[in-house]
Amino acid sequence: MPPVVRDDVPAGGVDQAVKPSRVQASDVLLVLLLVAIGLYFLAPGWFGFPALQAWSTVFVAICLQALPFLVLGVLVSAAVTALVPPSFFERLLPRSPVAAVPAAGAAGAVLPGCECASVPVAGSLVRRGVAPAAALAFLLSAPAINPVVVVATVVAFPGEPMMAVGRFVASLVVAVVMGWLWAVFGRPEWIRLRQRAGAHPEAGRARLFVGTAQHDFTHAGGFLVLGALAAATLNVVVPRPWLDALAENPAVAVLVLAVLAVVLAICSEADAFVAASLTSFSLTARLVFLVVGPVVDVKLIALQAGTFGPRFALRFAPVTFLVAVATALLVAWVLL
Amino acid sequence: MARVIQQLLLVLLGGVVLRTALTDAHLAYVQPGFRPLLVGAGAVLLALAAAGLLGTRRHADDGHHHDGHHHDGHHHDGHHHDVAPSTWLLVLPVAVLLLVAPPALGAFTAERQAQPIAVPAGARSSAALLGPDDEGADHRTLTLLEYGIHALAPGSPALTGRSVRLQGFALPRDGGGWYVARIRIGCCAADAVPIAVVLSGAPEDLEEGEWVEVVGGWAPPRENAGGGYPEPVIAARSVQRIEPPANPYEG
Repeated sequence: MPPVVRDDVPAGGVDQAVKPSRVQASDVLLVLLLVAIGLYFLAPGWFGFPALQAWSTVFVAICLQALPFLVLGVLVSAAVTALVPPSFFERLLPRSPVAAVPAAGAAGAVLPGCECASVPVAGSLVRRGVAPAAALAFLLSAPAINPVVVVATVVAFPGEPMMAVGRFVASLVVAVVMGWLWAVFGRPEWIRLRQRAGAHPEAGRARLFVGTAQHDFTHAGGFLVLGALAAATLNVVVPRPWLDALAENPAVAVLVLAVLAVVLAICSEADAFVAASLTSFSLTARLVFLVVGPVVDVKLIALQAGTFGPRFALRFAPVTFLVAVATALLVAWVLL
Repeated sequence: MARVIQQLLLVLLGGVVLRTALTDAHLAYVQPGFRPLLVGAGAVLLALAAAGLLGTRRHADDGHHHDGHHHDGHHHDGHHHDVAPSTWLLVLPVAVLLLVAPPALGAFTAERQAQPIAVPAGARSSAALLGPDDEGADHRTLTLLEYGIHALAPGSPALTGRSVRLQGFALPRDGGGWYVARIRIGCCAADAVPIAVVLSGAPEDLEEGEWVEVVGGWAPPRENAGGGYPEPVIAARSVQRIEPPANPYEG
């Protein structure tokens, strides 16, 4: 019997607090849309404002480039739910979480995609009875150590092979450390997986697959849009010359790139090219950028909140940020 | 009811993504290589919605609702309680694509994010790396980044005596004059990096954002007025206005 399908978790404060706003959320959105449509006809000039256009372009671009990976992740996650029996993971992963965490972290190397794909997959692993600590190690390592990302990093830093090595090592260490931290300090009630539409075992595999995929996509997709809104806003609002001025102090440079990795929310398959272009920053600061980006960013926090619940995301993201910065600094000190 | 709304949202999103991917519109947002991925994603969304709609119809008279929050123990009273608020956000990218139809990043971004050209450590310019002239022409076509690296990197001056052809949009330069500029993207428009080459000998009547084709030769780099870093310069022999290319980005 899969132990982690959380029917036992009480529908506590969070859910009830959200409930009255359910109708409002769609109503507010509807009003905003009507205002936008009104403006479209009454004051078309507003849509030509350069900052608004650049914001819209970046917003749509983030949504579009993440979408195929989210769809891939949702399909893999639905396949895990509908087709793979729970016993499969019990046989595959070591029983003790201490040993299962590194195994799951290393398994992240086989899912080619960015962070959007790994969130729904990790959610369905937890549903299938995989220890949350192991699923979280997979969640953190998959977007950072898969072959596509490693190759992109090698290509982006032609003269610096140690950047790719450092990124791989640091990201795997972050994933394993976070998995173990969860195994020791994590509480099951912090994770609140949403119940799935149509996830009735008697419904047949095809319906289970479609229901799971739809449910995961509509939930995670909404949070992806939320993250894209935040990332596009910061992308257009934060002036780059400020950043370059901050790059001169080594400690400030590390902090700035760590925060930038969180707020820009660049896909892990592209962030190496951005890091390569930030030439005024030290290699150490840029390694921090590459290690933090795939494990914590605004889009990812929103996705995690949508999949595992806000109580989880509020605790997990800040700790991951600290561990990622510390690990990247350590690895940079040894390798670079 | 709620499930039908959810399916319709998927149809809307899948349809708009598919349309964006199948026309040139996607080139304003993502790398050309993304097209098959977007087509696949749009098709999967449409297929999921179709399968969901069929399933909903087949089970409509079961009297048994396969609704989302079945287990929550909340009382069901009909409509949209079953669509989570986050789901509605999926309307936003569709609305922005249809209402604003945002164009590719251009002069606004190039001005705001201006930065030195990243010459790779150890890069050297040489005639061998530059390559021969285009077939049947007396110039070589380069991307702005290639030109910038050749123009700034140390080494044998490969560009001396050569003619190159560059394409980009006109961007006003601080303190007068123009750049020919282009945006590079690694993956999508969120990782945009502008590249600008100072256009020496530009016509007076250029307009910001206008696309031009420049044929010219190397000239010594100049210093950026605000940043103090060197900028590549092209001494233009001809500047022609052109239609914006289908793919506005480099990279």
